Amino acid sequence: MAPSGEREGWSKFGRVPAWAVSIAVGVVVVVLAALFDFWATTFVVGATENAPLVLAAFGFALLYRLTGLLNVAYAETITLGAYFAVWMNNSWGLGFYVVLLPAGLLAGVLSVVTYLAIFRFAKGRRVGNLEMIVISFGLSIFLQHGLQFVFGYRRRAFDIPPPDTIEVFGVGVSSFRLLALASVAALTTIVYQFIQRTSHGLQIRALASNEGLAQASGVRPLRVTILIWFVAGLCGGLAGVFYGAGASVESFLGIDELLLILLVVLVGGIWGLLGVVVVGMATGVALTGITLEYGNSLYAELVLVVAFLGVLKFRGRRLTDASKV
Amino acid sequence: MNLDWLDAFLIFGAFKVVEIMGLGLLVHLQLGLTRVANFGVVGFWGVGLYAFGVAHLKVDWPFGDPYQFLVCAAIATVAAAAAGLVVGWLISELDDDGTLVGTLGFATIVVILATTQQGLTGGALGLGGLGFPYDFGRVKTHEFTWLLITTAVVALIFVYAWRVHRTPHGRLLIAVGANEALARSLGKSATAARLRMMTVTSGAMGLLGAMHGVMVRSLEINSLDVGVTLAALAALILGGTARVFGAVVGVLLTVALFDIVIQFYLPIPDGWNTQALPVAREAVFGAAIVLMLIFRPQGLLGQMRRPALMRRLHGDW
Repeated sequence: MAPSGEREGWSKFGRVPAWAVSIAVGVVVVVLAALFDFWATTFVVGATENAPLVLAAFGFALLYRLTGLLNVAYAETITLGAYFAVWMNNSWGLGFYVVLLPAGLLAGVLSVVTYLAIFRFAKGRRVGNLEMIVISFGLSIFLQHGLQFVFGYRRRAFDIPPPDTIEVFGVGVSSFRLLALASVAALTTIVYQFIQRTSHGLQIRALASNEGLAQASGVRPLRVTILIWFVAGLCGGLAGVFYGAGASVESFLGIDELLLILLVVLVGGIWGLLGVVVVGMATGVALTGITLEYGNSLYAELVLVVAFLGVLKFRGRRLTDASKV
Repeated sequence: MNLDWLDAFLIFGAFKVVEIMGLGLLVHLQLGLTRVANFGVVGFWGVGLYAFGVAHLKVDWPFGDPYQFLVCAAIATVAAAAAGLVVGWLISELDDDGTLVGTLGFATIVVILATTQQGLTGGALGLGGLGFPYDFGRVKTHEFTWLLITTAVVALIFVYAWRVHRTPHGRLLIAVGANEALARSLGKSATAARLRMMTVTSGAMGLLGAMHGVMVRSLEINSLDVGVTLAALAALILGGTARVFGAVVGVLLTVALFDIVIQFYLPIPDGWNTQALPVAREAVFGAAIVLMLIFRPQGLLGQMRRPALMRRLHGDW
């Protein structure tokens, strides 16, 4: 089992519990959104449009915190989720809500396959951490381009009727986006509770803290690690479906989002998994706010990347260490 | 000079081979010696390309080529070196994960700036008007001459990399890469060594970017693609990250194989050159990285020959 000091990192913002901070932030957001139009638009659009970012970051954080591997090829889990969904939708005429879960599950399975076929095998051959990162980069490139031979070179779009628009604080939001936000809330709650409250979750934390000790205590590392990779892949795959439904699907869908995901995980990870969710949500809101203010989403991305890199420098090595268990 | 026997596409293919070889040699100094995994090679190369292009096209210089080229190339080199210094400082206290994010973030910043600063860079539309710093009459002669000049520059980079292995600075880089804590405990400044290495190698990457700009005669945002980083990294890993010749052998087996042998000498179906072959090329490079690092992480040429080299330099121990 993880020492108490390490468990603290899962659930606390410094000395204040992460859930309390989340609720406080939520209350401030609701009050601001109710009082001011600009903030209402920024918060509503930011939270709903960028819900897939939070979902993807949550899945990546699970993998990163629990296995210590910075897996660049996670981007292709996102892409594969989108591809599976659009393929089922285009080929069999299945609706968006019907393909959502199967696509996520398939992405989860593919995530496990990459672990078993590549990363576990490499670990067995005592490949170092730096080489593992480069392997994941190579795998990411291979999948990005290999997938074009499977799913075609051109962009693909979902063949679905326009989603219903629902008013939130006077801002129109598509039902897909609200579902994405609800999925983020549901999945993060379920996975968080699963890791904190169940015996499987305890095994996961024990394995992440000290693999040798966990094995000696009867934890079966393979089964637990597969579970982690599957849940992470499921989150990534679902995020991919939501990304794809919002625009179109092509082989660079995941990698285009990866840098922000990495930064959210590294910075938010300081405060544990809930920190990833809060920082991810804040990133989405900031992206929208800056885009609305300056009319160019690239400026928003630029500002955020520079800000995150500043945090990275300021926190130094402690940051990447803290993001792991 | 009669170059009718030489295909223009072959000249460009050879230029790409030489250019990636140069980048591979520089990545060898970063990754092979110092263990700094630079995933933003295209960022430094791009800073050189765009700094050169903007300086060449947007500044009204009181003199013409070749002086204009020399000044603009110097600006490109200094700009990329400064970027290397900043990024080196940014990642100096970070582990491999932080280094990946830092270098990848830098490359993203370069792409965003090149895209958004349309008044300077032409943005997504690009900017034409670059040219060779000489005039011999025929375009093919210009391109061939530029290939020779670039080859000479890359040969100098090779000699530099070769020399670094044999200098106190190079030995410090190797020590820092192998065991940074030990190097620090012996009073060596690991940070200063890394910063110096990042500055010099990034500056050289920028110079290669400037030379690329002259060859293609334009600034195109599509050229700032992860493919530049991938080609250099894949070639080096295939050849052997720790060996100077690793980049040379690796590039011959990857970029030269795809961009010259397969593209020009194999009877591939019409239309493959535009889509299927470039996609397959990148997929194969990615697969090569994975397979080599799992099955032969030291690359085809194997480990660094430190003991043999040390014996040759300092006699038997």
